[in-house]
Amino acid sequence: MQITAPALPRKFFPPAANRRLAFTAVLVAAFVAIPLVYILIRAVNGEAEVWYRLLNTRIWILLGNTLLLLVVVTGGASLVGVSMAWLTERSDLPGRSVFRWLLALPLALPAYIGGIVHLTLLREPGGFIPQLLQAFFDQPVYTPSPLGLWGAAFILTLFTYPYVYLLSGAAFRTLHASLEEAARTFGHNPWQTLWHVTLPALRPGLTAGALLVALDILAEYGTVALLRYETFTSAIFVQLAGRYDRAAASVLSGVLVSLAIVILWAELRLQGKARYTQLDSHWRPAPLQPLGRWRVPALLLVFSVLSASLLIPVGVLIAWSITAFLDPDTLSAVLRTGSQGFGSYIWNSLWSSALAALLGVTLSLPVALYSVRYPGRFSRFISRFCQVGYAIPGVVVALSLVLLVNRFMPILYATPLVVVMAYVLRHMPQAVRSSESGLNQLSPSLEEAARTLGRNPLQTLSQVTLPLIAPGLLAGGALVFLTSLKELPATLLLRPAGFDTLAVRVWIWAEEGFYMHAAPAALLLVLISAIPLSFLLRREQIFR
Amino acid sequence: MIALEVKNLSKTYPDRARPAVNNISFSLPNGEVLVLVGPSGCGKTTTLRLIAGLERADSGLICLNDRLVASPEHFTPPEKRGVGMVFQDHALFPHLTVFDNVAFGLRGGNPRQIRQQTGEMLALVGLEHLAQHHPHALSGGERQRVALARALAPRPVLLLMDEPFSSLDADLRNTVREQVRTILKSMVATVIFVTHDQEEALYMGDRLAVFHDGEIEQIGTPEQIFAASATPFVAEFMGDSDFLAGEITPQGILTVIGILRQDHELPDGAQVQVAVRADDIEFSVHEAGNGAIVERIFLGAFNLYRLRLDNGQVLHAFKSHTEVLPAGARIHARLSPGHPLAIFCEAGPSG
Repeated sequence: MQITAPALPRKFFPPAANRRLAFTAVLVAAFVAIPLVYILIRAVNGEAEVWYRLLNTRIWILLGNTLLLLVVVTGGASLVGVSMAWLTERSDLPGRSVFRWLLALPLALPAYIGGIVHLTLLREPGGFIPQLLQAFFDQPVYTPSPLGLWGAAFILTLFTYPYVYLLSGAAFRTLHASLEEAARTFGHNPWQTLWHVTLPALRPGLTAGALLVALDILAEYGTVALLRYETFTSAIFVQLAGRYDRAAASVLSGVLVSLAIVILWAELRLQGKARYTQLDSHWRPAPLQPLGRWRVPALLLVFSVLSASLLIPVGVLIAWSITAFLDPDTLSAVLRTGSQGFGSYIWNSLWSSALAALLGVTLSLPVALYSVRYPGRFSRFISRFCQVGYAIPGVVVALSLVLLVNRFMPILYATPLVVVMAYVLRHMPQAVRSSESGLNQLSPSLEEAARTLGRNPLQTLSQVTLPLIAPGLLAGGALVFLTSLKELPATLLLRPAGFDTLAVRVWIWAEEGFYMHAAPAALLLVLISAIPLSFLLRREQIFR
Repeated sequence: MIALEVKNLSKTYPDRARPAVNNISFSLPNGEVLVLVGPSGCGKTTTLRLIAGLERADSGLICLNDRLVASPEHFTPPEKRGVGMVFQDHALFPHLTVFDNVAFGLRGGNPRQIRQQTGEMLALVGLEHLAQHHPHALSGGERQRVALARALAPRPVLLLMDEPFSSLDADLRNTVREQVRTILKSMVATVIFVTHDQEEALYMGDRLAVFHDGEIEQIGTPEQIFAASATPFVAEFMGDSDFLAGEITPQGILTVIGILRQDHELPDGAQVQVAVRADDIEFSVHEAGNGAIVERIFLGAFNLYRLRLDNGQVLHAFKSHTEVLPAGARIHARLSPGHPLAIFCEAGPSG
């Protein structure tokens, strides 16, 4: 056989699968991009008059309020999160293996449910604690108000510190013992070591957690509305649901999203750097720090954080639920509101969140495959772009979908599918990250082995890749499910009449002041959320 | 019959200035084990992946059993090439048992036939008793043999092995490579074997291709490569050679430690480098001498001495393990090759 090798110039040949995969990933990115781009275009094209009006009055106040809350909560959550992580991971705190679990569980509580509980306990006058104190001392006693900035900051700190706690806890665990030992041999005492070596080494994980908290605060609606602290989200909600002023809502959303994108950009930049705390084969656990005489104060500190964020809210919800079940009138109101039964709230919550999880994981797959298996500038850009949902608060997703669906797909308008779409857009980033980390742990040689054993790319995906990354995909699905279950503002704004989820029902009852009615639904919501959460925690080595 | 023909194959990875594989050509007859050997980053693994279809070449041709599988216009995907591959990390599917791993590449036949073929392969590598275990329960050597059985089971035209022993402990490696070579020879398999270990290359290969900077420096039998190195790089990489300056004279090749008499086709007066290994040098303690002992390296069966000649040249020489001489002792070194030495014009070691 005569062979001649033509000396062609070097060309870039992407394998066939690569091109198809890239195309699919770009489609997913486009799906994510549309609502974001649309809202930014609406904001920029907003009438000059609307901009002037808002710039002259509202925007600066809202910006100040929002940033103030953001700074206070991010600082508070970092402080609480890191100290709880240090106490449970690195000190000899008694019962730390139980606290380690319990301290992560507030993630199962939507912040506004915690807010409802603390509001009823603390509100003046008529709150449970002020009344109790007055009866005891026979005169009114001053208690701090749960309303306004400090109330909102208190509640949001309690329910967002677990982000920092989990990320810095993982960093504490994977830190090399030798790093601290080296510092000690250079003459640092334990406290100097903590400040100069341990905490700086934790900084990437810590900052990533803090930025997630910041994004959460920008998106938070329920708590700030409940505690009457006006931020961008609550102002947008009012413009949309109360005044039907979509132009003003678009302008405010544009400003809010721009703010969030800056934070997300910082967070994405940190992603790669947070890696140097990974385990390697020489890892051994660092020795525990004895607390000595600080043992009791430390225990009290952990216990009070735990009480305020988990034990009291859940305890109060249980107590209210029991009261509701014992009172026939309340019970019948809980079980049936208008034509809707309690079962339909549960069902609506479950199927919409589960569908969102399924769609989110499915859409994340091509993006993750493309960015992990074909690393490059473009694929990394696509992967990061698909995480932009982190920076689009629920109210903004809702606004964008209302406008888009009305204009281009009126047939979808006022169907639960729009709600699911909002969940997917907003929470898909978590699925993208889980799928990517699952794929990163899978050696490409396994896929290559399948190819040399006669499987085409699709067969390889279904017979080798998917079975092996299934746990990672499931974790991503659990995250999307958990956060969708808790999602309040997007559901409130987009749901068709009669489509009540547990989160929505709790909110409506609480707004009307029927706390007893809301309690069973809230408790159930927390219990359902605890299932995917405990699955996620169990995946972490330490929670087994 | 020729199993594999590679012509003018080149590949440059994106973002890299230098080609990973630069215009290489070779062919491989049926039943031969060809070892690609060279330092890391020399292009040997890329060559293997190009043949497997896991990378695309920029230019050049690959023919398997006279079937064109890669050219600038044509690309046969790996699943249609009929080559088997053993990966560096073994790449056993962790979700499948040993049996299902080996049976993975056997498709299209009836289940009984597949079961029988899988059983035969497992018997060949001596692992029938582990058929129902999962890979994580196996030792390194057992995984190695499962990977081999899996790659051989579909009877590939060509078996590619990418540093298959590198994840094994040193003492296990020798045993496993003896087993593997016996299995490969008993099946008359056509194999390309990649390694950076020169000793492993000499052991495994019917022929060796020494890679350097994306090019093949020399192809030949282990004996040719070792004794008649074609380039200074081959001499140094394959035999830890030292290079001794010499000049062609009518009497022979004049070096600082004596005259080397052997056939050559160089003109008188030419400056050359002679590749000498530790077994080509003889020395004895001698007060006047021409050098001194720098250090003694104890290798068990031998003592390896590092010598520094008075002109600064460093050489190595073996002595038996009983001959222990102190560092610093004056010595007289001379050439005592039992065979012709490799001679290179003007050039020193290029690596």
